[in-house]
Amino acid sequence: MIRLGLRFSLAGGKEAAVRLAVTAVAVALGVGLLLLTLACVSALHSQDRRVAWLETSTHNRRPNVDEATTDPLWGAVNLDQFGSRVIDRVDVAATGPHSPIPPGISRLPGPGQYFASPALVRLLHSTPADELANRYPGRLIGTIGDQALASPDSLTIIVGHAVADLAHTPGAAEVRSIETDPQGSSVFIHHPGRLQLILAVVAGALLFPVLIFITTATRLAAAQREQRFAAMRLVGASPRQIAVIAAVEAMLAAAAGVVGGFVLFVLLRPVMARVPFTGQSFFPADLALTPVDVAAVAVGVPVVAAAAAMVALRRVSITPLGVVRRVSAAAPRAWRVVPLLSGLCELGYFAVVGRPSTTSKQIEAYGVGFVLVMVGLLIAGPWLTMVGARLAARRANRPSELLAGRRLADNPRAAFRSVSGLILALFVTTAAWGIITTVVGYHNASTGGAEGQRLMAEDFVDHPLHALTSTTVGQLAAIRGVTGVVIAHISPTAPGGPGMGPPDGLVSCADLGEIPALGHCQPGADTASLPWISGAGISTNSSQLGAKHLRPAAAYSPTQVESLPVRSIYIETDGSSAAIERVRTALERLLPRDRGYVGPPSTISEISPDAQQQLIGYQRLAAVAIIASIPIAACSLAVSVAAGLTDRKRPFSLLRLAGTPLRVLRQVVALEAAVPLLLVSALSVGAGFVAADLFLHAQLSESLRPPGGAYVAAITTALVLSLGIIAATLPLLQRMTGPEVARNE
Amino acid sequence: MSTDRREASAVDGPVVDARDLHLSFGPTPALRGAALAVARGEIVAVMGPSGSGKTTLLHCLAGILVPDEGEVWLAGRRIDRLSETARSALRRERFGFVFQTGQLVPELTAEENVALPLLLAGVRREQAVADAGGWFDRLGLDGLQRRRSGELSGGQAQRVALARGLVTRPEVLFADEPTGSLDSLAGEQVMNLLTDSARAAGTTVVLVTHDARVAAYADREVMVRDGRVTTAERVPR
Repeated sequence: MIRLGLRFSLAGGKEAAVRLAVTAVAVALGVGLLLLTLACVSALHSQDRRVAWLETSTHNRRPNVDEATTDPLWGAVNLDQFGSRVIDRVDVAATGPHSPIPPGISRLPGPGQYFASPALVRLLHSTPADELANRYPGRLIGTIGDQALASPDSLTIIVGHAVADLAHTPGAAEVRSIETDPQGSSVFIHHPGRLQLILAVVAGALLFPVLIFITTATRLAAAQREQRFAAMRLVGASPRQIAVIAAVEAMLAAAAGVVGGFVLFVLLRPVMARVPFTGQSFFPADLALTPVDVAAVAVGVPVVAAAAAMVALRRVSITPLGVVRRVSAAAPRAWRVVPLLSGLCELGYFAVVGRPSTTSKQIEAYGVGFVLVMVGLLIAGPWLTMVGARLAARRANRPSELLAGRRLADNPRAAFRSVSGLILALFVTTAAWGIITTVVGYHNASTGGAEGQRLMAEDFVDHPLHALTSTTVGQLAAIRGVTGVVIAHISPTAPGGPGMGPPDGLVSCADLGEIPALGHCQPGADTASLPWISGAGISTNSSQLGAKHLRPAAAYSPTQVESLPVRSIYIETDGSSAAIERVRTALERLLPRDRGYVGPPSTISEISPDAQQQLIGYQRLAAVAIIASIPIAACSLAVSVAAGLTDRKRPFSLLRLAGTPLRVLRQVVALEAAVPLLLVSALSVGAGFVAADLFLHAQLSESLRPPGGAYVAAITTALVLSLGIIAATLPLLQRMTGPEVARNE
Repeated sequence: MSTDRREASAVDGPVVDARDLHLSFGPTPALRGAALAVARGEIVAVMGPSGSGKTTLLHCLAGILVPDEGEVWLAGRRIDRLSETARSALRRERFGFVFQTGQLVPELTAEENVALPLLLAGVRREQAVADAGGWFDRLGLDGLQRRRSGELSGGQAQRVALARGLVTRPEVLFADEPTGSLDSLAGEQVMNLLTDSARAAGTTVVLVTHDARVAAYADREVMVRDGRVTTAERVPR
């Protein structure tokens, strides 16, 4: 039987060859996408391994050298910022010739020297020195190799110091080795950019539509196959033998598709590497497949295809007298909307009673709600498609509407299956985009609006600055684009300490007048008390921003205030990015890190670098979901349309010969694909907005803000592309319904 | 449509007239000088062995295929030079078709299948379904209106197809082996209904068959051999 199955596929004439080729191409596309998804997850692990050295601590889990044989190395890792980009800054000072060397460099930089990543070198060359290069003391002595960088776009710098300088810098530590375990926990910082979880979710979400696509592809031309099997039953083949032949045919096409998929993967890998899915592009070599991935796809896809073919055969009983289809497959029932409604109700419950008390409980609560809605959309889709189709068919006045409506109502599961991948992507994109837009809007509104975008704050809460000369203040005030500088000093009587939050500061009224956004003094007062207003989007105290605020008078003279340690420096700029970067650069030079400066300062409105990285991650999640799902869903749609045409080749041909205009048949095909696409898209976009709104009510007591043009553009692109792919299948109709089909066999 | 019919009724002579038709599929000639004239209201059986060219001749007469050479006239109007769109409109508005199998749309009910040509002609759905319903009683299909093709016997499905072919009251009905997939009893039923309905409506019928018993229902038989209409004789009814 296996031999016979092979013979049918390989020597079954032109039609069998075309069927095999089309199925193989479709499977190849699916496998290619699957491999790229798996490779992206693998690339994230590689990124983690490359930057494990940034997690170096005094107790490394997997040291790169024998710690007993090395000289200590002083090191500190900090995050710097240029615009919205994060710079990993590593300061090092060797205590001897055998100090451990981080990966990517051949030797440790001495005092006044630094290594920079290639992307940072380019940025240094293309940016005025007073906006970036002046932050780093000394000269560039080489570039950091790929093995120490997460991405070709990574901005990383290793700056050399004398031990005496670095040893007194807050946050610096003495280590004897470099960490090589990506799971290590740094004493320096918690390195941002951990996106595996996000990508794992995306990969999981993509696997589903890819598998649907592959199984759809292997069922191309099912009707013709069933007729052939019926003929075989007539000459004595048993159902088991038929199943074996069907499995062999499917496996053969899938195996050819798997080979094609691997070729596609190799061809597309360099292109994919350049796409910044995680905010940064990948090194092409990182987009690698593990042996487990290769084995699972190479074996799994043909096995799944064979299983799908056998399951498909079970749905129709092939008798010796022909294909006896179930005339009406069991129609989906209304209970299918229950999971979707349950998910929305669960989110609605928390919107009413408020968010759970702890983060873990919040994750649990919202996670369950969102998963229920996503699964609910998939379960409810066929029922909703059927209801919509029945309504449309009942009201149809045009033959194309009637034909399409009846077809959809007859098999709503098949119609929905082809668009289910896009549906999930639309839901994820809508919910994520809605939440991000609202959170960003909420953040902007609560961080001083336009004033917050101009005002920068640098805090010295943990390490108060004891001496700030008037020369330094004058230098800050002289920076091009700076319009005012206010120094807030620590009040000796203000409460502070653990659990109390940063203490109020004291300012002289002469200073305060330079930045009206910080408020104004009581009439006749010389000094005032100023609450803590921080940068990096810490919004709780930023609500204090604005000229309307009247600051209470302080019981200190201006001279007394100026002698107190500095708590914060406020610098107002003209709001230009150049001025903001000049301030960051100047502070780095004017306030050495060993005196407590931890930099970089942020505007009140800016999001901190790590939060920014996280936000970029979520935005990418939405983008990846929609971008990756479009081709998958569109391919599924195309295959589904083509399969539907093949199944109805004869009745459509005879209708056409009897004078039915091709236009009507095109409308039928277009409606069959477009109606479920648009219907369920509207549903998932709606569900996405509702879920996002409920989440925002529960978590932030905020209402959903409408997402902007980028969202509308992404959704429109997805739908237009999908409709375009449906349209691309229409020429098939003309070719498949020629007069030769009408000839009696 | 009405203008064409007036034009047609004004013309004497054959309603369908094929002259010296030649048509090849690649290197294989299918028609080699075939000619056939069919009078209004006449039922003509086109017979011949497999591969003789009888289905190709029917397709040329119905404007489905365009001959390489020769002319096809419908009621005094040459149709082989018309565009595909115009020929489609002609088939939709003035011809009816019955094929051997597989012509019913499986998702539609029997009633909707019969109403389909009327919907295509722009008739409102309620009216189209009502008109279609009239044929069920006439063709012994009462009670089967809501069934789908998979729920009908071969004979029933072919009668539904016949109703669909006649529902627009065509001038010419083209039937290609209409009983080819039926047993003799069901075949007889279908042929009786086909010829009775056609005669009652004055519809011209071109019937392709290789079965002499089916051909016997016709007013006249012609024989196609090697792409030519070789014999033509009027048979007694």
